[in-house]
Amino acid sequence: MRRILAIARKEFLHIIRDKRTLIAVLAMPLLQLFLFAYAVSFDVKDIPTAVLDQDQSALSRQYVSALQQSNYFKITQNLTAMNQVDAVFERSEDTAVVILPPGFGDTIVSGRPGPVQVLIDGSEPNSAQLGQAYATGLSRIYGIRVAVTQAETRGASTPAGGLSALVRVWYNPEGSSSAYLVPGLIVLLLTITTVQQTANTLVREKEQGTYEQLVVSPIRRIELMVGKVMPWAAIAALQVIVISGIGLLVFGIPFRGSVGLFAVSSVLFVICALGLGLVVSARASSIETANQMAMMISFLPAFMLSGFVFPLSSIPPVLQFVSYLFPGRYFMVITRTIFLKGGGLDVLWPEIAGLAIYAVVMLVLSSLLYRERA
Amino acid sequence: MRTMSIRRIWLLVWKEFTQLLRDRSMIPLIFIMPVVQLVLFGYVIGTDVKDLRTAFLDHDGTTASQQVIDGFASSGYFVSVARPTDDAGVRRALDGNVAQVAVIIPSGFGDMVSRGQATQLSVIVDGSDAKTASVAQGYAGSIVADLSGKLYPRPGVKPGAAAPVGLDARVRVLFNPTMRAVNTMVPALLAFILMMSTQNLISQSIVKERERGTLEQLFVTPIGRAEYLIGKLLPYVAVAITQILIVFTVGTLWFKVPFAGSVAVLGVGLGLFMITALGQGMLISLMSRTRYQAQQANVFLMVPSMMLSGFVFPLSSMPAVLIPLTYLIPLRYVLVIVRSNFVKGSGFMDLWPQFLAMIIFSVAIFGLGLTRFQKRLSD
Repeated sequence: MRRILAIARKEFLHIIRDKRTLIAVLAMPLLQLFLFAYAVSFDVKDIPTAVLDQDQSALSRQYVSALQQSNYFKITQNLTAMNQVDAVFERSEDTAVVILPPGFGDTIVSGRPGPVQVLIDGSEPNSAQLGQAYATGLSRIYGIRVAVTQAETRGASTPAGGLSALVRVWYNPEGSSSAYLVPGLIVLLLTITTVQQTANTLVREKEQGTYEQLVVSPIRRIELMVGKVMPWAAIAALQVIVISGIGLLVFGIPFRGSVGLFAVSSVLFVICALGLGLVVSARASSIETANQMAMMISFLPAFMLSGFVFPLSSIPPVLQFVSYLFPGRYFMVITRTIFLKGGGLDVLWPEIAGLAIYAVVMLVLSSLLYRERA
Repeated sequence: MRTMSIRRIWLLVWKEFTQLLRDRSMIPLIFIMPVVQLVLFGYVIGTDVKDLRTAFLDHDGTTASQQVIDGFASSGYFVSVARPTDDAGVRRALDGNVAQVAVIIPSGFGDMVSRGQATQLSVIVDGSDAKTASVAQGYAGSIVADLSGKLYPRPGVKPGAAAPVGLDARVRVLFNPTMRAVNTMVPALLAFILMMSTQNLISQSIVKERERGTLEQLFVTPIGRAEYLIGKLLPYVAVAITQILIVFTVGTLWFKVPFAGSVAVLGVGLGLFMITALGQGMLISLMSRTRYQAQQANVFLMVPSMMLSGFVFPLSSMPAVLIPLTYLIPLRYVLVIVRSNFVKGSGFMDLWPQFLAMIIFSVAIFGLGLTRFQKRLSD
């Protein structure tokens, strides 16, 4: 035990002496937290749109203002001729162009459907898909309104019916992006720091030649391993507390579940991440490879395969399988469910069991690798 | 002033390559990294959100309500995973992460429809996963609009026709008609991977020389500073070009991304960006004393580049406060260049503002890196 503490103390001193790393470890999570919480949004609104109104009638202007007021489209320029449309897209000035052909108003007045052409730049599919849905929806709403007004003015009875949907968003009714991002960021930031840092520790000792010195000392390998990761475990715990604290206090996100369950699963997750880092550290041949490998197994899976921002329901089966090989996927469900839904062990037992098994496997694997390598 | 010697530069390149190749696990990584990123970004971001797990609560049980359920289920976007019988069941399904969406049809729905009265159904989406929630709302909206046309047939309008009343909207998606996300992800990855690996490898390599003190040894040899720099940068330029070719080949052949642009435009755009990335790598190496710190700085820079460039998150939905910041990110401009060129075939004339920005960035950043580096070397 004393030997473990001595190693931990040595490691801690290394970290504290290295001011730049210390700043990176402490400041980077905060920077990322604020950047993500403010920058990421999936509500596609204010799609930059150019309008070509060839009709210039009262009805066409009414349509354009309906478009403007919908919040989904932001009209940035009015075109005057058809030949300007190509340039708009080729210069990537706008994502959508709405064209109202001459005779738009007259057609509607005569009781036939008024033709509208909406061109959408497909080179940004995220906006393109939703823009398409909005444009169609908006045209329908507007169309129904026009039809009703016309029928009323003609004094005819119209079928007033129609199906509409009342959409409610549970767990995050205001649609605040920080509410789902902060719990997710805990997973991402923990993975980046812990895996990356522990991946570096052992390789560095080897490159600097201090590893031999440690090996000839009376210290046992398992003690070395535990001592090395202890400071990082402490920093990880600190990060969880700081990020959750900022989430609750600054961003006002809810915490509906049990603190105890959250603490237990965080500990399990940190063990998994530390284990991954140790495995990399034992396998990598140099600091550069350790860094690249850590990047490949920490950042990328935590960002892409955890369900952090990209839904996993429709990715190919092979990648589904791969996503279960990284601890982020389990922990992501846990943090979101605990923070936002208030779910307990009855709901989360499969994920927590998954993390526990993962942690045990990682510990065994890394201690085996260490023994073999030493 | 000594003249530059091609031979000396060549020897340095050879030394650098040998060092790179000695590290046996490095070579596979250089080739595997782009492919892994391509597969992840291509499939995970590129896959349209489909098959949303949905719970249907039918209080009505008529043919009209069944038609609604079929309408949702046959769209391909919603998959029925649960048929709860009461509101508590809906809550359980969403709380327990069984369903992501719930559709509730009120009782008396069928009667109202047959009488032609307006009806409403409830759609509940799980807001803890924002992307799914926003996509689900969009899909639900268009499915309901479709169903409205079917359930409330109007004289003169065919049921289910694209334009129920009043307006005939023709929506056409240009350039990428199937709206495959991969088609825009692959071009973006060309730039992203280029930045990641160039910046990373060059900064690590320079810092390593400093860590080991081999830099001083090099300078007592007849090698000049310019020769040293060229010899140092060339191998990484070669690595970057190899990686770009891998991404391009896998992207066009495996992911079947059509290439509508010209190699010249793409090459110049990526070339300018590579110069910027090399400059950034040099600047990082000057700020870091150990390779470990350099790695931290790389990750530190990567995140804002990813977030604020429009790489994965559309710039149009970003809050106005952050928009000025995005203009400081070189990746932002090169993304417009590679995407527009790849998908739309835009040329130099169309993209001149972006090219201008890239020229300014590459001159400024590479120039700054170079002068700071020279200064550091002569100290």
